[in-house]
Amino acid sequence: MKSRVYLKKILGLIFLVAAFLIVASFVPNFLTISNLLNVVRQSSIIGICAVGMTLVIIIKGIDLSISGLLAFSPMVSGILMLHGHNIFFSLAAGILVGLSMGFFNGLMVSTLSVPAFITTLVVGQVSEGLSLIMNGGRSIGGFPDSYVFLGNGTLFGIPISDYLMLIFFLIGFIILKFTSLGNHILALGGNETVLRQEGISVTKIQFFVYVFASFCTSVAGLLLSAQLDTVHPIQGEAYQLDSIAACVIGGVDMAGGYGSVSMAMVGALIIGSLRNSLNLLGVHPFMQNIFVGIIIISIVFITGRIRQRNRKATRGVL
Amino acid sequence: MNALLSSIRYFAKKNGSFLIFLILAIIASIAVPNFFALDNFAIIIKQSAIPLIACIGMTLVLMTGGIDLSMGYIVGFASITSGLLAKIYQWPIPAVVLATFIVGIAFGSLNGFIIQFMKVPAFITTLGSGYIIYGLAQIVSQGSIVSRLPEGFLAIGRTEMLGLPSSVFIAAVVLLIFYIIINKGIFGRSLRAFGYNAKAAEVSGVPISKINVSVYIASGLLAALAGMLFTIRVNAAQPNMGGGNFNFEVITAAIVGGTSLFGGVGSITGTLFGVLSIKIIENCINLMGISYHLYMAVQGVIILIAIIFENVKNKAL
Repeated sequence: MKSRVYLKKILGLIFLVAAFLIVASFVPNFLTISNLLNVVRQSSIIGICAVGMTLVIIIKGIDLSISGLLAFSPMVSGILMLHGHNIFFSLAAGILVGLSMGFFNGLMVSTLSVPAFITTLVVGQVSEGLSLIMNGGRSIGGFPDSYVFLGNGTLFGIPISDYLMLIFFLIGFIILKFTSLGNHILALGGNETVLRQEGISVTKIQFFVYVFASFCTSVAGLLLSAQLDTVHPIQGEAYQLDSIAACVIGGVDMAGGYGSVSMAMVGALIIGSLRNSLNLLGVHPFMQNIFVGIIIISIVFITGRIRQRNRKATRGVL
Repeated sequence: MNALLSSIRYFAKKNGSFLIFLILAIIASIAVPNFFALDNFAIIIKQSAIPLIACIGMTLVLMTGGIDLSMGYIVGFASITSGLLAKIYQWPIPAVVLATFIVGIAFGSLNGFIIQFMKVPAFITTLGSGYIIYGLAQIVSQGSIVSRLPEGFLAIGRTEMLGLPSSVFIAAVVLLIFYIIINKGIFGRSLRAFGYNAKAAEVSGVPISKINVSVYIASGLLAALAGMLFTIRVNAAQPNMGGGNFNFEVITAAIVGGTSLFGGVGSITGTLFGVLSIKIIENCINLMGISYHLYMAVQGVIILIAIIFENVKNKAL
């Protein structure tokens, strides 16, 4: 039994190594240092979004607002920057806008108890609409060098995006592993009633998780725009599916209560290398999406089956 | 006096969406120039007809407590397949219509099967299948748009009767059929029971798996019909038709129409007024010459208001 639990924990890692070896042997130019660094750099956006998504999925929610918010925050910051405002002020403004959207998510989920998938869909669409309005549907570009450096620069030969991903990984890791808040988040996904009986405010936890998720999304959006040196008002749509896929492939349980940030990181790297290798092979992004969609549905199905079987097994024991 | 108040309360509780529609129409007539005209009403009815067809499907799905995020992409797939079959392959028109329906039924039953028998949550299933269907539509179309479709095909939705195109009458027939199914038969009661409490319904002998699958089949079929009629209206078949924005519009209309997000509550007449209400708002935004993108943001605010309204209504009335 113990070995099975252990196996479940490293399942994502096995997937990663297997996918990596298969890809490396088939795809030319995959195993070069510059391409590998590129894979990590491309994965950083998905990875940062997936950190927030992991916490949301653990409390049995889902964040569908990524598609809109990933464009809205950088749109706000970008317009401020192009008007000649200080970079730090502009970035702070963009992140603040993202946080307020997360606040709405938290408000509707906790206080009005609206299902998370509707709430976040609404907030995502509103932010997409707002980012379209702000510049009449056009994209903006030509940002100051110091902002572009954030996305494309390197420090000791490693892209700054990778450091940022590491920082977010550590933040998520520390919250979940070493704080009482992390324990409460995991408990909320597992058994809400017990948490309420302990006298812990479920509302506060939900607020924190959704605001944190939108913080991750905003930073990821700002990073993406720094990498591209443009803000496109619908740039987020491609990352919505990928960040959910990263969590699911990594092994975060869609039913809530089980998951860790390292799983999401592994998942993000799998998705990143998958996309990269399919691009190198010349597979069209639409085909890739079909593939990712099928993977998500099958993994959620399989983990559901495993859970059902485990439950039956424990019922027999008790 | 009290009896009058309580009867007003009862009316408001039962006909919330009609009241929203009425209030919006009155405000628009006063505030927006050119709104109160027969031509403009005809435009609103024309624009409401096709979303209404899809919205009836979404209402059924929401009543079970599920959601169909693949609807907009089925619209796109149905659009491109019907256009290709009618123009490039030159199939006879009834065969094109039949093929479009089969496409919708196939995607709908796939969704229903995965949700009911593989126990994958509805929003994950339909989010994933939406991306899959969109990818397939792009592959089928090869990135091209099929325009200038055959006359016989266009006649399905464009034949003028009483000054309105036939797509309006198709929508009316669909509305009537589903009104009868939901309100007069055993299916509607079973659907409500399933939406309120799936476990209790199952124990009471309601065939829940049949209902859950058939709801997604209906939603896929109606989405395909809507996609075909959209194609006919704009005389161009393209995979980008519908999409995420269409999903959102349809969900907004259903919620404004009084469909509960928690399942079990919803009505076909409510959906009718929900669609009309949001189309009035769209119409006003167009008439006042404000950016169309504002419509998306406004829809979000409308959903929020509708949810708060529902919460208040449940507590106060």
